[in-house]
Amino acid sequence: MEHPILFISIILEKLGLPVPHTVTGHNLLEQLCTPYMTYTWLVMAFLIIVPKLTMGKLEMVPGSGQNFWEVMVGGLMDFFTENLGEDGAKMLFPMMATFFLYIILANMIGLIPGFMSPTSNLNITLGMTLIVWVTHHVLGFKYHGLSYYKHFMGPSKALAPFMFLLEIISNFARLISLSMRLFGNIFAKEVLLAVLFMLAGAYFAPLPILCLGVLVSVIQAVVFVLLAVLYCAGAMEHAH
Amino acid sequence: MSEDRREMIRQLAEYSQIGMTFVFSIVIGFGIGWFLDNKVFAGKTTPYLTFIFLGVGIVAGFKNLWDLTKKISNGKE
Repeated sequence: MEHPILFISIILEKLGLPVPHTVTGHNLLEQLCTPYMTYTWLVMAFLIIVPKLTMGKLEMVPGSGQNFWEVMVGGLMDFFTENLGEDGAKMLFPMMATFFLYIILANMIGLIPGFMSPTSNLNITLGMTLIVWVTHHVLGFKYHGLSYYKHFMGPSKALAPFMFLLEIISNFARLISLSMRLFGNIFAKEVLLAVLFMLAGAYFAPLPILCLGVLVSVIQAVVFVLLAVLYCAGAMEHAH
Repeated sequence: MSEDRREMIRQLAEYSQIGMTFVFSIVIGFGIGWFLDNKVFAGKTTPYLTFIFLGVGIVAGFKNLWDLTKKISNGKE
């Protein structure tokens, strides 16, 4: 597919850095200059700089900037407390909230012409999913010790080896489906927007898809974080 | 957010996940069987292990569905 214009790639090319024309580059420098990496850094920079600017010093009577972040963080904290309990929410809040802010911003940034969603690349979503997947097993071992294996054995002793096989398969299916869903939704949005832009961009043809794109971006971010939280909650509770 | 809205989003997440989990369970089961058949045992057991593990994958997919239905019916009682 012909790539749409990407501002950061153009700037990097002007600076003389190699921007690969395949999905991933061949050597390290090319891999660092692929669009999904550069736009990830843009999102990271945005998430570091903008809260710093809008919040300023924390005050007793919050201004509008501080108000927004308080509502955001407070809402997320309530949401996690409901599913994970007080202690679990406090422990997992930094990771899960980071995922939420990063994914929602990474999804949304693709709606602006000249930018792309880093989440429309499977490497990014699979990386995030691997973090979640490893974390929820580590949490399981942390909370239950070695008896965490009972989660995989099912209720009856006779069927335990068979159940173990089933649980292993469905665990790996979890890993793939969580990454593929986010990737598939956002990639579809990106491709559809690009195609409509090329075909009938002058007649505002992408406009309805842009509206739907906002919806998809928010829903996918919420669903990803919610499922991550549910998996962690499932690993932390007692085996049935 | 109201209680109903929260419940709706939770269910949206679980239902939108279950279809893909079902499909990938089957694919992974088939993949394990194929790998054992062709790479580990070098074609000596073809095609039996592929079929056995395909069956296991399908059962794993249905077990996911079963767990989800049990969770929902527990919530209603």
